Amino acid sequence: MLPHVQRTRLLIVGGVVLAAALVAGLVIAFATGSSDSASSGTTTAAAAPAAPGGTTGQTSPARPAGPVSVLAGVPQHGDTLGNEDAPATMYVYEDPQCPYCKEWALGTFPTVVRQYVKTGRLKLVYQGVEIIGPNSVPALRALYAAGNQNKLWNLAEELYTRQGEENSGWVTDDVLRSAATAVGANAAKVLADAKGAAITTRLKQAESAFEAAGAPGTPTFVVQRAVSAPVELQLGGLDPASFEAALNPALQ
Amino acid sequence: MTGAAARLRLATAGVALLGAADAAYLTVVHYAHVAPICSTGGCETVQHSRYAELHGVPVAVLGLAAYAVVLATVAVRGVPAAALGALVALVGTAFSGYLLWAQLARIHAICQWCVANDAIVAVLAVLCVARLLAEP
Repeated sequence: MLPHVQRTRLLIVGGVVLAAALVAGLVIAFATGSSDSASSGTTTAAAAPAAPGGTTGQTSPARPAGPVSVLAGVPQHGDTLGNEDAPATMYVYEDPQCPYCKEWALGTFPTVVRQYVKTGRLKLVYQGVEIIGPNSVPALRALYAAGNQNKLWNLAEELYTRQGEENSGWVTDDVLRSAATAVGANAAKVLADAKGAAITTRLKQAESAFEAAGAPGTPTFVVQRAVSAPVELQLGGLDPASFEAALNPALQ
Repeated sequence: MTGAAARLRLATAGVALLGAADAAYLTVVHYAHVAPICSTGGCETVQHSRYAELHGVPVAVLGLAAYAVVLATVAVRGVPAAALGALVALVGTAFSGYLLWAQLARIHAICQWCVANDAIVAVLAVLCVARLLAEP
C-alpha cells in the first residue's frame, strides 16, 4: 500500500472509530434513559405467556386453587399481607401485566405465604409499578383501591389468572369488576376508589421507592429487617427453591 | 494485501456466525419464555431485567441484526463494506460493554451467553478494523 493510501486508510479507520463512539454514545444514552425510567414502557420480559388454561382477559374465570386459597386466614391491611409485627418486611415490586410477576405470583408466592408469612416471619408490602405500559395503570389503581377493602393481594392473584398479552388492552373495567367480585370485594367501590387522588399518591410513592431501590425490573423483592438496611434479593430463578435460597440468608 | 483481506473476511464471517448463533439462542429463549441453559446462575435474572430490552426490542434481536449486517459486509469486497462492518462491530462492542456493566453493577447477575457475546463482538471488532486496514 502506498504511503498516501495508507494515510487515507488510517484516516478512514479513525473516522469509523469516531463515528462508532458517537453512535454507541447515543445508543447507550437512549438505553440508559429507557432503563432508568420506571414508567417508560420498557419491559423486563417478553410478551405475556398464555394464562392458565390458555385463556386471557375476562374470559378466564378459572382460578387455580393454590395462590388464592393460600390467602385464607392471612391478615391483610391495605397493601400489607401478614402480621404487622413480623420481624421482616419484603417489598414486592410488581406490574400486573408482567409475565414473570405472574410466574412468581402463581408459582412461588403460595410457598412464601405458607412458609414465611403464615409463620409470622415475614410480611409482604405490595409495590405496584407501571413497567410494561399504560394498560398496567388501571389494574394498579384497582389493586390499591382493593387495598381499602383489604383485598389487594386477592385481587392481584385473580388478575394474574386473567393476564392477557402485554398492552393488548386486556385490563378493562369489566375485567376489573369481574375479578374484584370474584375475590369478594365490592367491585363498584373498587372502581370508584381507583379514580381517587389517594391512589395516585400511592402509585407515585411506589414508583419513587422502585427508583430509589435501583430495581432492575419486575418482579423485584427487597427485604428489610427492623434495624438493617434493605436488601434486594438476588434470585437465581423464580421457582420456590431459588426463592428460599435467597430469602433465608436475608432473614438471618 | 488482498490475500490478507480475504483471510480476514473469512475469519470475520466465522466469528460473526458464532455471535449470530449466540444471539439467536437468546432470542429464541426470550420469545419462548423458557429459562436459558445456565451455569452462572444469573441468566434468568439478566433475561428478566429491564436491560434485556431496548424500548421493547430484545437486545438479543439487536445483536442478531448486527451480526447479520456484519455478515453481509463480509460478502462484499472493498473499503466501504469494510468500514460499515467495522462501524457496526465497534458500536456493538461498546454497547456490549455497557450491558456487561449493567450485569455487574445494576443487575448483580451474570449471564454466560451475554459474556460470551461480549467476547465474540470484541474479537469481531478487531477483525473488522484489521480488515478495513487490509482491504486493497
